[in-house]
Amino acid sequence: MSKEMSYRDWTEVERLLSRRSLWIIHFCTGCGAMEMPAIMTSRYDMERFGIMPMATPRQADIMLVTGYVAVKTLKRIVRVYEQMQDPKYVVAFGSCPINGGLYWDSYNTIKQLDKYIPVDIYIAGCMPRPEAIMDALLKLMDMIDRGEADGWRRYKEQFEVYKANQNRVFKRWD
Amino acid sequence: METFGIDFKELPVKGNTRKRLYGSVELDRIKEHIRKFKEVGFNHLVAISCIDWIDDGKFEVVYHLWSYEELVDIFLSVMIDRDNPSLQSVKELFPQAETYEREMHEMFGVYFDGNDRLTEFILEDWDGPPPMRKDFDTKKYAEERFYSVPPVGDVDEGV
Repeated sequence: MSKEMSYRDWTEVERLLSRRSLWIIHFCTGCGAMEMPAIMTSRYDMERFGIMPMATPRQADIMLVTGYVAVKTLKRIVRVYEQMQDPKYVVAFGSCPINGGLYWDSYNTIKQLDKYIPVDIYIAGCMPRPEAIMDALLKLMDMIDRGEADGWRRYKEQFEVYKANQNRVFKRWD
Repeated sequence: METFGIDFKELPVKGNTRKRLYGSVELDRIKEHIRKFKEVGFNHLVAISCIDWIDDGKFEVVYHLWSYEELVDIFLSVMIDRDNPSLQSVKELFPQAETYEREMHEMFGVYFDGNDRLTEFILEDWDGPPPMRKDFDTKKYAEERFYSVPPVGDVDEGV
């Protein structure tokens, strides 16, 4: 077996295993966190698919940004995102992280999250129903299987561009 | 109820049987009045709010005080100049006023003499004018600060 071949096989095994144990970091911004209890508990029960809430960034795979993102929150989001280990996926949840939503002309919320950190999947709606969240998580699992959820790789490739955008809204990092 | 010479006007309130009284106070006597009302039982500072009367060139600062004995809300209102908004801090009477004053300093640019903690509060990395003033154009500011940020690479539309 060639070296290239074995690398490809191993990536497939890795994807197969990682898509079956996705842990979500408990980082709830805005009002979307209200929909989380429904999908965590017995009604929708995301643990059927190996998805679990996790309190620390280092053990988490998915970051759900569940609502509007203020400048102050974005700084924390970037920090948490950078603390997470590869591979990591970001889900933009609701209208606000997609295009600003209700806060389209607000002076203190960033409008498009994907200008600052890479986003793998978007859930539209204000608020999205728990069914929509389950659907998005299942689609994310399929994307991981096919190797399409490559936000963490894009963040590495275009690190300078993302950092430049982040530094346009932050004055300091302390 | 003791009024200390203030002409109180009762505000019409729906669905609330408690009285709400509104009275105007001169700028240089506001702290003295708050101290007097605190002594007669109005010992709960509910909030301090600020209103921008841009046509009159004034800010109105309203102190909301509540008495647990009389069960009355009083609103002490003071008008200050919009170009040079400055007031005496009531931090020594009510320690919690410090936070209200910090917020008002950040959102309206009102300066409180005697409050040494008027530092950056909620708005991190802020470089514009105070955002709650009526002449602040929030849409223009958002366009300049957020919509001008270029998108990164190809925007992935999801599946």
